[in-house]
Amino acid sequence: MIGVTKSFGGVRAVAGADFSVRAGEVHALLGENGAGKSTLMKVLSGEVGGYRGEIRIGGDPVRFTSPADAQRAGIAMIHQELDLVPALSVAENVFLGREPKTAFGTVDRRRMLRETAAQLDRTGVAIDPRRPVEQLRTGEQQLVTIVKALSLDARVLIMDEPTSALSAHEVDRLFAVIAGLRRGGSGIVYISHRMEEIGKVADRATVLRNGEVVAEFDARSMTAAQASEAMVGRPVHLMFRAADRGRPPGEDLLRIENLAVRRSRPGRRDPAGISLRVARGEIVGLAGLLGAGRTELLETLYGVGAKGPWQGRIILGGKEIRPRGPRQALRLGIALVPEDRRIAGLALEHSVLANTVMSIVDRIALLGLVSRRRERSAARASTERLGVKLASLADPVGSLSGGNQQKVVLGRNLLTEPRLLLLDEPTRGVDVGAKAEIYRLLGEAASQGVGVLLASSEPAELVGVCHRVIVLRDGRGRYELDTGKVSEADLLAASMGEGAVEGLVVGGAE
Amino acid sequence: MSGQASGPAPTATLGAPVTRRRREFLPTVFKFQSLFGLVLVFAAAVVYSPTKNGQVLFLDSGNLFNVVRSISEIGILAVGMTLVILIGGIDLSVGSVLGLASVGSASLLVDNGFGVVPVVLIVLAIGLGFGVVQGVAIATFGIQAFIVTLAGMQIARGLARIFSGGQAIAITYGDGPGQAPVVFSLLGERTFGGLVPIPALIFIAVAAVAVVLLRVTSFSRHVYAIGGNEKAARLSGVPVMRVKIVVFGICGLLAALAGIVHAGQLNFGGPNDGTGYELDAIAAVVIGGTSLSGGRGSVAGTVAGALLVGVLRNILALRNIDSNIQLLIIGLVIVLAAGLQQFRPASVS
Repeated sequence: MIGVTKSFGGVRAVAGADFSVRAGEVHALLGENGAGKSTLMKVLSGEVGGYRGEIRIGGDPVRFTSPADAQRAGIAMIHQELDLVPALSVAENVFLGREPKTAFGTVDRRRMLRETAAQLDRTGVAIDPRRPVEQLRTGEQQLVTIVKALSLDARVLIMDEPTSALSAHEVDRLFAVIAGLRRGGSGIVYISHRMEEIGKVADRATVLRNGEVVAEFDARSMTAAQASEAMVGRPVHLMFRAADRGRPPGEDLLRIENLAVRRSRPGRRDPAGISLRVARGEIVGLAGLLGAGRTELLETLYGVGAKGPWQGRIILGGKEIRPRGPRQALRLGIALVPEDRRIAGLALEHSVLANTVMSIVDRIALLGLVSRRRERSAARASTERLGVKLASLADPVGSLSGGNQQKVVLGRNLLTEPRLLLLDEPTRGVDVGAKAEIYRLLGEAASQGVGVLLASSEPAELVGVCHRVIVLRDGRGRYELDTGKVSEADLLAASMGEGAVEGLVVGGAE
Repeated sequence: MSGQASGPAPTATLGAPVTRRRREFLPTVFKFQSLFGLVLVFAAAVVYSPTKNGQVLFLDSGNLFNVVRSISEIGILAVGMTLVILIGGIDLSVGSVLGLASVGSASLLVDNGFGVVPVVLIVLAIGLGFGVVQGVAIATFGIQAFIVTLAGMQIARGLARIFSGGQAIAITYGDGPGQAPVVFSLLGERTFGGLVPIPALIFIAVAAVAVVLLRVTSFSRHVYAIGGNEKAARLSGVPVMRVKIVVFGICGLLAALAGIVHAGQLNFGGPNDGTGYELDAIAAVVIGGTSLSGGRGSVAGTVAGALLVGVLRNILALRNIDSNIQLLIIGLVIVLAAGLQQFRPASVS
């Protein structure tokens, strides 16, 4: 791609970018949210037209008018947003739009299932191809999109944050697949915010900032500091260890005793005997592979999801509680930053203002009447405290970058003045700068006595931010690790249940 | 575009305010789309209006109030429908509930000899109850609003027919048995020197209350939040079930009010009254710029949408255009209004 420029309205998303992928190469594309990575790749995959500049494949200039066009030329893209049809099965999604036909012209379901199963198998994914996609967890859905793109046998495969919802174990599987593709001579563009992945998987790394190429590195020798500096445009100091860990945790805020819930929904891993405690001012991490039950534990504490038979006790501030729903949870001082902000966190078309005060309009209303002034001052205080970058509180929240969107969700939760803050993957799809700020805010909340329970798939985040980490597997607490004493590798090993870490476990959580 | 980028600095600085103004202007047009449409249609009506002795017939105050009166029933329904559509729902039962309320009013007044106040209260309560039951079915059992209110539409129509024995009940006024109190006939009258029709006043009052309600109450914030993202709203502590039940309750209540107005205007209650009105109400809401997917729109837009249809019908009638042609034109306006929404500046990248 030579000198590619693309503007939306008056905003220039990509400005004269040169970018190339060689056969048998993994080329990482880095940059903060809004740097133009996705736009550049959408130009390449034919989704975005009306650009200036040139694209050449094997030396021949091409100009795609649609994704189908690009696919015929051997270019496929795995999207950050999961573009699957929820009600269709895994196999139907993989073959969507190019279903194999029988001699009678009907869809050859058996062949579809067989080939999907084979592809899943090659990728090392244990999912029944007949299951509807809507029953799968986010991470499993992400694996399906990857399998779908792989089945296209593309010459150039673009992966836009393919691992954002994957557990460490599945990431390793994916990397093995990528290595295979590279050996087979495919060119791969790899977009990710996770610096440690780049060094493992990529050969070259190009950094975009404000739509321009600002740096190119040898991915293997590049350091995280170099890359972040190029992305942000200035040295980044505070990455992890932002939480104030010197503070001795206070008395117990939350105690969970042998919690087990049986709701038996497909694709869910409900708590099956979890015990843990969170002190006032303590940040406790929840680790575990995809499907280990992290999300379900947070949901149970927040009272969402179907009701079911219940065992064990939840004690908050010395009183036993049984969360029945978000309203009650909020009254008790529990707040939740949900897993997927676009699906469960924000009304994207609505203003930053409306999204920020959503949880507290009742509280700032008098006799059911809301004062615009009070709404605005509450929202302004929140966005300023969290450093949300915006032009106006009236802007639709969907027009903000992922990091700023997440700050709006976090700000809404902090406005409820929670005693216990639950967070589910709060930094997924969030750029380095915003990540650091979110960590700072968590540390700040903790230093004010808020107890924090943080579920994350990023070992670096858990080790860097939390006082302690509970490792979940199969809905049970397996290990409790002191982050002062363990490394990210230990955490990973514990998640996968490898015995080698037994010595590092400071307390069995069971 | 390249000239702007590589041009001298002054060009660039001059360019910025222009794009900025354009960016603020467009959303404003789209926000008040139905109002602009109304102004356009109104202007066109003035131009194309037949004249008599140099007077523009369309602008005759009696005619203008007739326009408002003619849309008052649909308008009242549309206000309730706006709330329902804002939470991402739909209410197909309002036309039938109007019929039930109309029959109920006539029957209670004429056959049962009730006074006006009890009749109004009973009928409103029936409408409210009907809406609340539908709301409960939708909110607590999670059945789609389309299905529940489709069933409600059949049930209300059936009740209206059973109640009336299939016959329209004529309302005659007087003090004798089988006669309705004269007060009720006010609904067909005009006030302020015989100028302003009472139904128009009722519609304006309902719309005004709804506009204020949707601006200043925490309830309104909940309504918009549910329409914007129901899951996010629930997780944020919005009482989703309660708000849904209240919204469908209000919609049923307003349908009953429209039914009372209907009976008062026509001096009878017919079991088939209001057939198809639900679609007219939805049309007014859509022309008013409220998104059928919820979360976006306003009662003011709906009022403008209803007026737009009313003005259009009126001018076509004044020009003696065949009523079947009128249907074609209204249909095109709906498509145009909905189509324009597609060009709304993308707020989400």
